[in-house]
Amino acid sequence: MLLGLAFLPAIGQAIYYRGAVSWQQPPADSAPVSLAQAKGWGGAVLWIDARPEEQFASGHVPKALLLNEDNWNSLLPLVLAAWSPERKLVVYCSRQSCDASHAVAERLRQEAGLKNVYVLQGGWEEWQKGGQ
Amino acid sequence: MKIRTALVLVSLMFVLGGPARAALVWETTAADLHPAVSDKTAVAHFKYKNTGDKPIKITSVHPSCGCTTAALAKDVVEPNESGEITATFNIGDRSGVQNKTITVMTDDTPGQPTILKLTATIQQLLQVAPVFVYWPAGDVLNSKTINVDVGAEFPVKKLTVTSTDKAIATEVAPGPNDKTFRITVTPTESGRPINATLKIEPDFPKETTKSFYVNVRVDSRAKPVTK
Repeated sequence: MLLGLAFLPAIGQAIYYRGAVSWQQPPADSAPVSLAQAKGWGGAVLWIDARPEEQFASGHVPKALLLNEDNWNSLLPLVLAAWSPERKLVVYCSRQSCDASHAVAERLRQEAGLKNVYVLQGGWEEWQKGGQ
Repeated sequence: MKIRTALVLVSLMFVLGGPARAALVWETTAADLHPAVSDKTAVAHFKYKNTGDKPIKITSVHPSCGCTTAALAKDVVEPNESGEITATFNIGDRSGVQNKTITVMTDDTPGQPTILKLTATIQQLLQVAPVFVYWPAGDVLNSKTINVDVGAEFPVKKLTVTSTDKAIATEVAPGPNDKTFRITVTPTESGRPINATLKIEPDFPKETTKSFYVNVRVDSRAKPVTK
């Protein structure tokens, strides 16, 4: 009885917001993306490492391309050469609190006009936790 | 009467309680930097003084991004001793307003970091948009336009554009006012993929060449213009 009463508000909200939220809803363009979801996209993902070059050299997501604001002009052509319209760009930096991935993602959208640009939640730290 | 006594006691607590704690007092915790257009780095100095009566250890200095380094001369600050943290922001290919922080932890206030804020306003000589022009499969190889806005304070009168692939023709024309240019980009070949880079060089500053880049990509299945 008590359990049933406890569920009532949740059931009410579920009915009220039934069209607004879906567990299967894909993230909006440029939204943060979880590691599990990004991995689920498989080969469609173009991984972009926004960390400094020395950190990239010491380890990165397989096949990831380096693109940071230190050397934006020389690195961007390599990313654009690998890009195709159907690919999803997932940008990461060191950890959740770093801002380099957001800055790079923003420039890819604003300056290069690319769509399907996402920021990996938790960054490289999360990738390493995820067992690679 | 009771209220007055309480107020006196509280005041005494603040007056007497203050000096008993070690304290690192910062001259400033925010730096506003305006590097010149040719500068590679922007440097801020955050000065501090130990106004307490016991040594303070700076246990960690952590910049918010890999683009900033923070140098500390010594990590133990004796009473009445002054020092500074030198923060060097690597400008790289960044532009606009950049906000970075440096988190400083000390052993006198563990769990209460001092956040040093560094704001660098990087002057934008040219604003080029878009920096990527693309003709996908099926697209007709009509010309595309790149808009270039010159920063208000810079006397740029001419742009030179060069392409890494001769199949990409470019033409520079003045824009609607004397602070704008328009670059027309036209692929002159079809049937092969083209990945080219356009290098844009303004005639200012004279002493150092500052280049800007636009990436051009043409799918091999893009269609030639029918005449």
